[in-house]
Amino acid sequence: MDGEEENVGPFRRTSARTRRMATRMASALASSDNRAQAALARLEALESDNAGVEVVDLNDDEYGSTDEEDPVLMQKKQSKIMKRKTRQGKALEKRAARSFMDVLQEANLESLPPHVPSYLRAAVGPPSTSSRRHYCSVCGSSANYAYDGVAKW
Amino acid sequence: MTVGSRVVVIDNGGGLLKAGFGGDNDPIAVVPNCMAKPPGGNANSKKWLVADQLQAEDVDVTGMTLKRPIDRGYLINTEVQKEVWERVLRNLLQVEPTSSSLLLVEPLFNPPALQHATDELVFEEFGFNSLCVADGPSLVHLYEASRQPMLFRAQCSLVVDCGFSFTHASPVLQNFTLNYGVRRMDLGGKALTNYLKELVSYRSLNVMDETLLIDDAKEKLCFVSLDVPGDLHLARLSFKDNPFRCSYILPDGITYKKGFVKDMNEALRYRSLALDEEAKRKEHSMDINKSEDRKKPELSQNEFVLTNERFLVPEMFFHPIDLGINQAGLAECIVRAVQACHPYLQPVLFESIILTGGSTLFPRFTERLERELRPLVPDNYKVKITRQEDPILGVWRGGSILASTPDYESMCITKSEYEEMGSARCRRRFFH
Repeated sequence: MDGEEENVGPFRRTSARTRRMATRMASALASSDNRAQAALARLEALESDNAGVEVVDLNDDEYGSTDEEDPVLMQKKQSKIMKRKTRQGKALEKRAARSFMDVLQEANLESLPPHVPSYLRAAVGPPSTSSRRHYCSVCGSSANYAYDGVAKW
Repeated sequence: MTVGSRVVVIDNGGGLLKAGFGGDNDPIAVVPNCMAKPPGGNANSKKWLVADQLQAEDVDVTGMTLKRPIDRGYLINTEVQKEVWERVLRNLLQVEPTSSSLLLVEPLFNPPALQHATDELVFEEFGFNSLCVADGPSLVHLYEASRQPMLFRAQCSLVVDCGFSFTHASPVLQNFTLNYGVRRMDLGGKALTNYLKELVSYRSLNVMDETLLIDDAKEKLCFVSLDVPGDLHLARLSFKDNPFRCSYILPDGITYKKGFVKDMNEALRYRSLALDEEAKRKEHSMDINKSEDRKKPELSQNEFVLTNERFLVPEMFFHPIDLGINQAGLAECIVRAVQACHPYLQPVLFESIILTGGSTLFPRFTERLERELRPLVPDNYKVKITRQEDPILGVWRGGSILASTPDYESMCITKSEYEEMGSARCRRRFFH
C-alpha cells in the first residue's frame, strides 16, 4: 500500500522528506471523505511501534536534583536546555527519523532492470478477489448492512 | 577451528533476539529486541531497560515506551541495536567479541545502505574477528533436512516464515534461497498485536500503549478458527454458553506485576468443540451445564473480556482484505511464490512446505492453512505442510548447524578483508 507513488520516474531523485509528505497528501486528497481517511490512518497505525516521545533525554545527565533550590539558576539553565535541545534535538531527529521507508526510497529500486529481484518485486501484491467480509466494529460478528452511525471497517 | 574462538550465532529478529554459540542445540538468550522505559515524566527520568531486563519477575511493563532497532524487519537504528547486543554479549553470553566470529541472520533484500551500517556495527563498534551473513529460509531448510533426510530427498522446500514484522514464502533449493520466487506479506506478529490493541481499546479498556501486555494476551488466548461464520455465531451466546469467552487481567503494580489470564480452563473450553458441523449443533444444546460457578468480575482489577477477537485477530493472515489491507492472504502468497519457480519444481515445493516463525504457534494454524491452500493447488499435486517443532528457534538452530560445518571459515569475511576492501566488495561473497 505504500509502494506506489504517482510522481516518480526512474531518474528523478527528490529528497525523502518531500516524498513522504507527498504520498500522505496525495492519499488524503484522493479520498476526501472522513471515513476513508480514518481507514488510512488506521492501517498506518497497524505498523506503529509504541515509540513514544523522545525529548526528555537531555534532562537526564547533567541537571540532576542539585538545582532545585535556586529558581533563577534553574531558569537560566532551562533556557540553555531549550537552546541545546533545538540544536541537539535536531541532530537526534535527523538520525532517528530515518525510517525504513526512507532508506527504501534512497535505494532507488525502480531503476533496476526487471529481472533483478528486489524488495519491491517481492511484495505479494493485491488479492485475486477483492470481495471481503465485513465485521461489525462494535461486537465483531458479521455485519450484513452498513449503518452510518457505526464505522464499519 | 582454532581453539578458544567460538562462533556467536545471532538471529536478529524484529521481536525476539536469539543468540548463542554455534554447535549448541539451543540459544542461550531469547530476549526481546528492544529497549523500554517505564512511564515517568519527571526530571530524573528512569533508566532504559534493555532486552532481558524486561522479562524479570518484578518488572511491570504497563505503559512502557519502546525503542526498537528494527523497523519493518530491517536494522535501522544501530545505536539501539548496539545497546541490546552489548547487554546480550557481555552479560548473557559473556563472550569477548574481538576473539569470536559472528554468524548473523539477516532478512532478504537488505538495502546496501543498511548492509554497510551493519558491517560497521559488527567490525568497528564490536570488533568481531569475522562475519558471515545468512538468510533465514536456507537455515531452516538446512536444519529440517538434517533432522529428516528422508522427507527432503529432493533437496528443496518452501519455507513460510511468519515473523514479527512480515511473512515471507521462500523457495529453497539445495540450501540456496531462490530470491526471485520469494513473496512477502507485510503482516506479522506486530500487526496482529496492534489490531488486537485496537479491538480491545474500542470495545473495553484503552490499551493502545500496552504493546507488551497485549502481546502476552495474544499469545495465550488467540487461536485460529476453522469455520469463521459458525464460530461467530457461537461467540454471540451469553456467558455460560459462550465457549470462547475469557478475560485477561492487567497488572496493577502492587499485587500483580504481570498480566495473566483469569481462568485458563475457561479459556480452553473451545477445544472440546467438535470440528464438524453436525456434532457442533448437538453440543450446542448441551452446553448449559458445562461451566461451574461463574466467577464475578473483580472490581479492583482491570480486566477485559475477549470473545470473537480471539479468532478474528489471526484471521488477518488468511484474509487481510477484510481489514482493508490490499494484500493477498497467506495461501495465495504461497501459491504465487511457487508459481514463480520452474514448473518441474512446483509439485515438489507443494509437498514440502515448512512453517516457521513465532506467529505460526496459534493453535490450528496448520489445519486452517491446509484447508485454504488445497483448493488453490492443482488436483494432481500433493500438499503437505509441517510446522517446525519450535518455530521461534528454528532459524537459530539452522545457524548453529551452519556454524559447525567444516567449511564455515571459508565463508566468512575477516576484519582485515573488510578494512582493505570495504563493505560493498565483501558483501558480494554472500549471494543476497
